[in-house]
Amino acid sequence: MTSPQKPILRVENICKTLGGKEILKSVSLSLYKGELKVLIGPSGAGKSTFLQCINFLIPPDKGRVWLEETEIQSRRKRDLYAFRQQVGMIFQDFNLFDHLNALENVAIALRKVKKMSRQAARDHAVAELERVGLGDKITLYPAELSGGQKQRVSIARALAMDPKIMLLDEPTSALDPELIGEVLSVIRDLAKGGMTMILATHQIGFTRSLADEVLFMENGSIIEQGSPEDLLSQDASSRTRDFCCRLNELYEESV
Amino acid sequence: MLDALIAIFEALPYLLKGALVTSGIVVGAMGLGLVMGIHMAVGQVYGNRAVRWFVGLYVWFFRGVPVLVLLFLFYFGLFALIGLNLSAFAASTLVLGMTTAAYQSQIFRGAILSLPKGQLQAARALGMSDIKAIISIILPQALRFSIPGWSNEYSIILKDSALAFVLGTSEIMARSHFVASRTYHYLPLYITAGCLYFLLTWLGVRALLKLEAKVRIPGYSQ
Amino acid sequence: MAFVMALFMVSNGDVFAKELINGIDANFPPFAYVDKAGNPGGFDIESVNWIAKKMGFTVKHQPMDWDGIIPNLVAKKIDFIASGMSITPERQKVVNFSIPYWTIKQVFVTKKDSKLTVDQVLKGKKRLGVQRGTSEAEWLKDNAIKKGWDFVLVYYDSAPLAIEDVLNGRISAAAMDDAPAMDAESKKPVKILGTFGMHDEKFGYAVRKQDTELLDTLNKGLKMLMADPYWDELVKKYLRK
Repeated sequence: MTSPQKPILRVENICKTLGGKEILKSVSLSLYKGELKVLIGPSGAGKSTFLQCINFLIPPDKGRVWLEETEIQSRRKRDLYAFRQQVGMIFQDFNLFDHLNALENVAIALRKVKKMSRQAARDHAVAELERVGLGDKITLYPAELSGGQKQRVSIARALAMDPKIMLLDEPTSALDPELIGEVLSVIRDLAKGGMTMILATHQIGFTRSLADEVLFMENGSIIEQGSPEDLLSQDASSRTRDFCCRLNELYEESV
Repeated sequence: MLDALIAIFEALPYLLKGALVTSGIVVGAMGLGLVMGIHMAVGQVYGNRAVRWFVGLYVWFFRGVPVLVLLFLFYFGLFALIGLNLSAFAASTLVLGMTTAAYQSQIFRGAILSLPKGQLQAARALGMSDIKAIISIILPQALRFSIPGWSNEYSIILKDSALAFVLGTSEIMARSHFVASRTYHYLPLYITAGCLYFLLTWLGVRALLKLEAKVRIPGYSQ
Repeated sequence: MAFVMALFMVSNGDVFAKELINGIDANFPPFAYVDKAGNPGGFDIESVNWIAKKMGFTVKHQPMDWDGIIPNLVAKKIDFIASGMSITPERQKVVNFSIPYWTIKQVFVTKKDSKLTVDQVLKGKKRLGVQRGTSEAEWLKDNAIKKGWDFVLVYYDSAPLAIEDVLNGRISAAAMDDAPAMDAESKKPVKILGTFGMHDEKFGYAVRKQDTELLDTLNKGLKMLMADPYWDELVKKYLRK
C-alpha cells in the first residue's frame, strides 16, 4: 500500500507506569490510511496497554495522540467520546454485552451513541452481522455463541460504528485453534478492503502475509520495526525472528 | 377454642386491612430503597472520593443502628426538629426505606463489581459516556443478578414493618394486639398474624422468582 | 422523588377546621379498645364523642403505643389524650390535666384459684407484672426500695398482656387499675386480690401546656357530661361489671 503524506493516526511518547512498574517507556507510532501494522512481542511487553492507551481506556501518564492531524484532548469528555467512536477496538476476551443478543450488541451503540432510529440501527446491524457471516445468528445471546462467533460479533459491532481505524488486541488468543480461522478470515477481508488497523497478535503466518509493517515490542519499548520481509524472512537475523522461532517451537507452526 | 375461632373470624376484615397497611409500608420502603440504593451503589463504584465517603458513612450509620431506635430517633426527634410533620405510616415507611437503601446499595454494589471489567471497557471503546454505559450495559446486568439478594431484603423489611407498631401505625401487629387486648385470645391471634406475614412473604418471593425467570439471560448457566 | 412527595401528602395534618385527634392506648379495655368492627371504642371514646358533639368539634381517635403517647402529644401529632391516664405530679410537669373524671384503685390480679395474699405477693420474692410507663409501675418501683419489698417487677406493653402471663404462670400477680382488672375478671379465670397500699388515683384528660383554650373546652364538656344522665349510662355500661 502506498503511504500518503500525512498519517491518519499519530501517537507520540506514550508512557505508563502501573503498580510501580514502568509498562510503557515512550512508545510512538504513525499509522497511514489503509495500513496494517502488527505488534508482536512476549506477554507483558505492553502491547495491550499500548493499544488501550491510544483510545485512552487506560489514561497514559504522558503522551499525545493525533487523529487526522487533530490532537485529542482527552480531558474534554465530548472530544474523547467522539474520538472513540472513530476508533474500533477488538478485545482478546470479546467483551460482548452479555444481556443483549448479537443484533442488539451491534445495534446498541448505533442507537445510544450515533442516535440512529430503532429501525435504521437494526437494519445496519443486520447488514454488519451478515458481512461477518452471522446473518442467521442475530437472535442468539453471547452465552449461546462459540468463541469464534463471539469475536466476529464484536468485529461487526466495531465496524457498525464506521470507524476510521481499528485496534485489535490479540483477537484470536482466547480462541480454540479450530475457531481461529474464521476470525482471521474476517480480519483478512478487512485488511484487503483497506481498513487501517493495528493488530497485536501471535499469529506469525498471518502477519507475514498481510502486515505492512511489523513492530516488535519488549519490556515496554518498540525494539525493532520493519517490513515482514526484513524481520521475518528465512535469512533475517533479528530479535523478531528469534522470538517467532521460539513461538513456533511452542505452537509447532512453520515459519 | 370455638370462641377463639369466632373472634378471629370476626376480626379478619380488620386484620386484612392491616395487611394492606403493612403492604403499603413494604412497597414504599422497598421502592425508596431501590431508587436510593441504585444511586448509592453507582456512586460508590464509579464516583469520586467525596461521593464514596458520603455513601460509606450513610451505609455505616443505617446498618449500625437498630431499626427500632431509628424509628424513635426520626419520628420524635429529627423530623420534629426540622418541622416535618409526617403521619406514623409515612414516617415508618421513610425510615424503613432509608434503612433498606443502605442494605440494598451493598447488594447492587456487589452485583456491579461481579461483572467483568470488560463490559464497561467495551462500552467506552464504542464511544459511550460513562453514564450511558452504566445505564445501558452495567445496570441491566447488575440488577438481574441482584434479584435473589433483593428478594431476601424484601422478606426482611416485611418483618421489620412490624416495628412500625411502636409509632402507632395500624398495621398487622398493632391490630392483632388490639383485638387480643379486647378478647384475650392472644395465641390464636398471633398465629393469625404470623400466617398473614407468611402469606405476604410467600407472595412477594414468588413474584420475584417469576421476575427472575422472565429476565434471565438466555444461555447463562444456572 | 414524586413518590416521596406522595408520602408527605399522607401526613398527619394539624388541626384542620376543628378536627381534634385523641391519642389512645387501644390495649386498655374498658376505657379504650378496638371493637369487633375495628373501630375505637370504650368509656373514654364514648365520653369524648359526646363532649365533641356538645362543644362543637369533630374528633378522631388514634390508637398508639402507650410509651409514646405523651411524646406524640408534645410533638403535636395528637391534640389531647383521653385514655385512662392517671393524673400524676411527674406527668403534670409536662402536660396539663382536665378536671378528674374517675377515681381508680390499684389492685393485684391473680389466678382464680391462687392462694396468695397481698402481703405474700409483696414480700414473698414473687414475680409481679405491670404495664410499662404507668403510675403503678413507678410507685411499685419506688416503694419497693422504701418498704423493703422483694418482688421482681416484670414490665409489659399492656395490662391484658400481663394478665396472659398470670395465666401462663410466668408471674404470680399483675398490678393494674381496677377497671381493666374487672374487665379481665369478666373474661378470664382470674380474680382481683385487692389493693396493695397505693393511693387512689384520678383519671384526667391531658393537653399540651400551651393549649389553655382546649383545656377550657374539654373541662366545660366534662362537667356537662358528668351532670348528664348519659354519664350514668356509660358508667353502668363499662365500669360496673
